[in-house]
Amino acid sequence: MSSIYQKGEKDVVLRVEKLSKAYGDLLALNRVSFQVRKGEIFAYLGPNGAGKTTTVNILSGLLKRDKGEVTICGYDLDSDPLMIKQAIGVVPDESNLYPELTCTRNLQYLGELYGLPRVERVRQTERLLAMFALEDKAKVPFQGLSKGLKRRLTIAAALVHQPEILFLDEPTSGLDVPSTRSLRRLLIEINRRGTTVLLTTHNMFEAEELAHRLAILIRGKLVTSGTPGEIRRRASQQERLEVIFSREVKEEEVLQNCPAVVSVTIKDQGFVLAVAELDRALREVVGFAGQNGIRVVSIVSMPPSLEDAFVSLIESHQDNTLQEIS
Amino acid sequence: MNQLRRALSVCRKDFESYYGKPPLITWGLLFPGVLMLAVYIKEPKAYLGLSPGIIAMTLLFGNTSMSAIVVTFEKRSGTLVRLLLAPLRQETIILGKMLSAGLYGISTSLVLTVGLIFLLGLRLENPLCFVLGLVLGAVTFSLLGLFASVMVREVFEAMTLMNFFRFPLLFISGVFMPVERFPAVLKPVVLASPLTYVVELLRVGITGKGYFALWLVPAAVTLFLSCISWQLAVRGFRARSYQ
Repeated sequence: MSSIYQKGEKDVVLRVEKLSKAYGDLLALNRVSFQVRKGEIFAYLGPNGAGKTTTVNILSGLLKRDKGEVTICGYDLDSDPLMIKQAIGVVPDESNLYPELTCTRNLQYLGELYGLPRVERVRQTERLLAMFALEDKAKVPFQGLSKGLKRRLTIAAALVHQPEILFLDEPTSGLDVPSTRSLRRLLIEINRRGTTVLLTTHNMFEAEELAHRLAILIRGKLVTSGTPGEIRRRASQQERLEVIFSREVKEEEVLQNCPAVVSVTIKDQGFVLAVAELDRALREVVGFAGQNGIRVVSIVSMPPSLEDAFVSLIESHQDNTLQEIS
Repeated sequence: MNQLRRALSVCRKDFESYYGKPPLITWGLLFPGVLMLAVYIKEPKAYLGLSPGIIAMTLLFGNTSMSAIVVTFEKRSGTLVRLLLAPLRQETIILGKMLSAGLYGISTSLVLTVGLIFLLGLRLENPLCFVLGLVLGAVTFSLLGLFASVMVREVFEAMTLMNFFRFPLLFISGVFMPVERFPAVLKPVVLASPLTYVVELLRVGITGKGYFALWLVPAAVTLFLSCISWQLAVRGFRARSYQ
């Protein structure tokens, strides 16, 4: 089997070049390019309908692409589809194991499909049930598990053949807070043990907490990529101030008296101010308080969050689209 | 070899999940068994002539229905995606699914035949021809069921699609009346039906006599039809299994 790793790119596990896919007139993916390096968690972010699942389906061989090149672990998607399937583990957005089979049998059956010898299947099943804290559910049919446990077993099933890279499509979608937290800890542990992860999500907090690098996809177009810090700095020009005054103040008063404040959001007992120039805004806010006999209880400068950057990117992309249309 | 082993895994899992379950076993046995008994009670001498047709009908309905139901159900529940994501060729998946549905059809037909032998004194004049008819019929009908399953989304759609073909086939394939007794004008239609050749193989197996001078003729035609069905199933799976 031919491996086409290029010189100096030994650490690239997944390379996507100018990937395009259309459904009729709808361009779902428009010349998308990105790389995922060995050992990292790469988050593929985008709002609903951005094309994240389409990308994962193409990478995992479920959907045909229209244009573009994809190599995974050095194998070409067209010429080595079976090698690629052996190298990847896929967790779809819906937990989809065999409802009537027990947890153990589900894992062992998938081990058979991936060609694991019997001894290895048994060993892997025991290891994964322990790792995902499902040992006491080993003999329970998949349909008898809670949603959170189903999700865990689905992720365990994708790891049964020890893939090089794991594709996770919205892994925590629809889970309660404890299940989400424990699943995130598991993903970090899986990555720590050497599995590269491609994570699709629209949850900014999740991406910020888990990902080493990320890419943002909007309407089928990859608009930016980099570390969370890089993207925050690049996408959002505005900094934020969190202010608590000693008495009630109206939002309009702040906006009228502080020109450097771009927007005001109420949060708990105070405000979050999006500001164009931090120093000027600080002076204006403190001056406004002094002139009106209000005490500033606290004022904290905060960097823009990934969510701010994401929203700013979506808005600017929508503006661009509107300009293109007009 | 690896792919064959994986096809056998698919087959074994399908037996665990579907074909080994009591409702399917009883459905596969009761329906033809009761029909056969009804014919025997009405006219004991006629059952021998009808038994090849009823066994072929069991194969036709059992195999096309079960293979279509299983795949449509797995499409709906998302578990078919598991097979598509695994390092399996499309042909491996089809082989596994065909083997499970085929073995189900063959085993229910064999149990029915053994019952007829012990309870009603049925004799097999040419057992080889009989088994060949069962195997080739099971393969062809399972593959046609698989093809139907990828053309639709819901189980009822698969059943509707197949019934459109299956019921007319019953009346033009020598199930209830031997081929030689059809009027000349209908003979081309009878000979165009794939079920005719399966019935003929089973008829030679049971009575030693058939419409064709040589049993190799229906055997060759059924083999050819199973190859066509394989191609249809493979192309259907390639084009529509993930939809």
